[in-house]
Amino acid sequence: MKTISENVSAIPRPVSAAGYFQLSRDFEKRFREGTWIPAKTMKIALLSSFTLNGLKEILLAQCGLSGIRASVYEAPYNQWAQEILDPSSALYAFAPELVILFADTASILGERYFRPYAPSSAGWQDWTDRQFEEFKGLVLLLKKRSNAKILLHNFEVPGYSPLGILESKQAFGFIEAVETLNQKLREAFKKNSQVYLLDYNGFLSRTGKHGAADPKMFYLADMKLDLQKMPGLVNEYMGMVRPLAGLAKKCLVLDLDNTLWGGVAGEDGMEGIRLGPTPEGRPFWEFQKMLAALHDRGVVLALNSRNNPEDALPILRNHPHMILREDFFASIRINWEDKAENLKSIAEELNLGLESFVFLDDDPANRARVRQAFPEVKVEDLPEDPALYVSMLMKVNAFDSLQLTREDFQKGRIYAQEKKRRGLEETSGDLTAYLRALEMEATLQNAEEKTVPRIAQLTQKTNQFNMTTRRYQEEDILRFFRNPGFWVFMAELRDKFGENGITAAVIVKKDQNAWEIDTFLMSCRIIGRRLEEVLMAHLLAEARKAGTGSVLGKFIPTEKNAPARGFYARCGFKCSGKDGQAEIWRHTLEKPFLAPDFISVKIKEKA
Amino acid sequence: MNSLSGILCRVLQIGEAEIRDELTPADVPSWDSFNALLLVSELESAFKIKFTFAEVTGVQCVGDIRKILQSKGIPFESQKI
Repeated sequence: MKTISENVSAIPRPVSAAGYFQLSRDFEKRFREGTWIPAKTMKIALLSSFTLNGLKEILLAQCGLSGIRASVYEAPYNQWAQEILDPSSALYAFAPELVILFADTASILGERYFRPYAPSSAGWQDWTDRQFEEFKGLVLLLKKRSNAKILLHNFEVPGYSPLGILESKQAFGFIEAVETLNQKLREAFKKNSQVYLLDYNGFLSRTGKHGAADPKMFYLADMKLDLQKMPGLVNEYMGMVRPLAGLAKKCLVLDLDNTLWGGVAGEDGMEGIRLGPTPEGRPFWEFQKMLAALHDRGVVLALNSRNNPEDALPILRNHPHMILREDFFASIRINWEDKAENLKSIAEELNLGLESFVFLDDDPANRARVRQAFPEVKVEDLPEDPALYVSMLMKVNAFDSLQLTREDFQKGRIYAQEKKRRGLEETSGDLTAYLRALEMEATLQNAEEKTVPRIAQLTQKTNQFNMTTRRYQEEDILRFFRNPGFWVFMAELRDKFGENGITAAVIVKKDQNAWEIDTFLMSCRIIGRRLEEVLMAHLLAEARKAGTGSVLGKFIPTEKNAPARGFYARCGFKCSGKDGQAEIWRHTLEKPFLAPDFISVKIKEKA
Repeated sequence: MNSLSGILCRVLQIGEAEIRDELTPADVPSWDSFNALLLVSELESAFKIKFTFAEVTGVQCVGDIRKILQSKGIPFESQKI
């Protein structure tokens, strides 16, 4: 029996709410029959101040489309605050990984919503402060009692005032009150890694506040959001759900002809293609600018185009309005090979799994080919009309992540630099000579508060060189970092082509008799540079200095961490047995372990 | 499947053969208050029309829906699959 676990991406997106309901039943049926094997599971709680019937099923369906089997808990009608306040509530018993908090403006305004300037409605400033304190208090309480990430809706800013044009002349009007509440909530959780704000007001502005609720449905069933708008809202949630499940995408692979410019390079030539500030050229020009913005935030870009390089490359290099020049791309395939094969070789070159790829191509045949060859790749359907490219791209939130570190912002650039490094590798056949020519410098330093997000992120994303593949949230890393019985350190690597950022991390549990390696990982980008040996040499030297008897390490094999196998043996550990699948290794610290001399090492004790 | 029958099948999870004008919520267990609203929402977005409050609350059977659609200029053919 064919399972659908490999080809969820080929399931067409339903066109209406009922289609999503159908799909959620379908996923459940297939799961029961064993024909759907989800990649991940996720427990999500929905707390709302009004009837949200339907949202749950749409959420289940969209999670399914991303390979996630969600279980959803819905708080009873308008019980969201009680559920948070009561420590023995069903909410806490459910132990959600994500809590979506959705209180609506009309609920919190009460009668003020209808008569904002009645005598009894005076004191908007006080109202704002009170609401803010109440919400902040509830969210903080929830945060204290649960490890779940919290997605907090902001409030719809009312579009109507009985004062009309004079609303903005009020010392502190009621529209201003809601705006201020939104602003205060945003400020309050800006630096909080557990609480995220969902811009519900922005969502409604994009989709139309007037049609947000169907009045008769509202009167009939307290339905404050049109059923047909729910798929769009759930799509916003997915921007949080996917990275939380570790399913965020990293690399965007692009076509050239009729994707990055209008026309065909081989036929229209540099002068003939449409790109730049003309009516026909602007859709492509602005599309490129939007793609550059993704590159700015760390999305890795690659090219996969059927063309003669001598037709396409000069456009990339010399066209006056080309935004995405050659050095934006971490990998380039311009040839007449099969697009799917090209994609595979791009993934190998970048050392990224195909499941982290998004593919954009104007040709439906190419899209079908890639879907068929690699169901794990997310293939987006470019609209037929290039004028719609930009608005389509705005709806793609596949690259959303829960934290953006300095490394992320640079990643697009770092991967592009890597292309130059590989050029060097090809010219110098001898590997050690190549590594020496890179002029690498490693900085080892203990974890600090500001590097905690990056370390957590590395534990979540690193699959290949990862001895134990233990996934941690920021809160976990903070606990290790504050516990004197643990040692958390990491490494930054730079070379003559630039910075690589923090790319390796180690967590050690320091017991009297032995130190135990809890986590030892290194980003796949720098596998093969032997940085891991520098880290291990440092670890073993510190252990000797501390006078502990030995260092223990586990290797827990996964589908992906073959590159890490054998690492302990290389460092002088001896295998001392097995614990289920895991291998146990021990280093007795009798002989020092020396790291390669071509990486110079700086040790920073404190920043 | 933008037809009345198609939408009824999808929302109520029933077969086309079951659909007839006399069919009422009492005959179909899945025709509950929520699915009644979903039905309204799907019909409105498929045919780009709006029902009034009274039309929604006045529907007793499939035939009533058919009459309302006809009164809004939806031809009989497109009400079939």
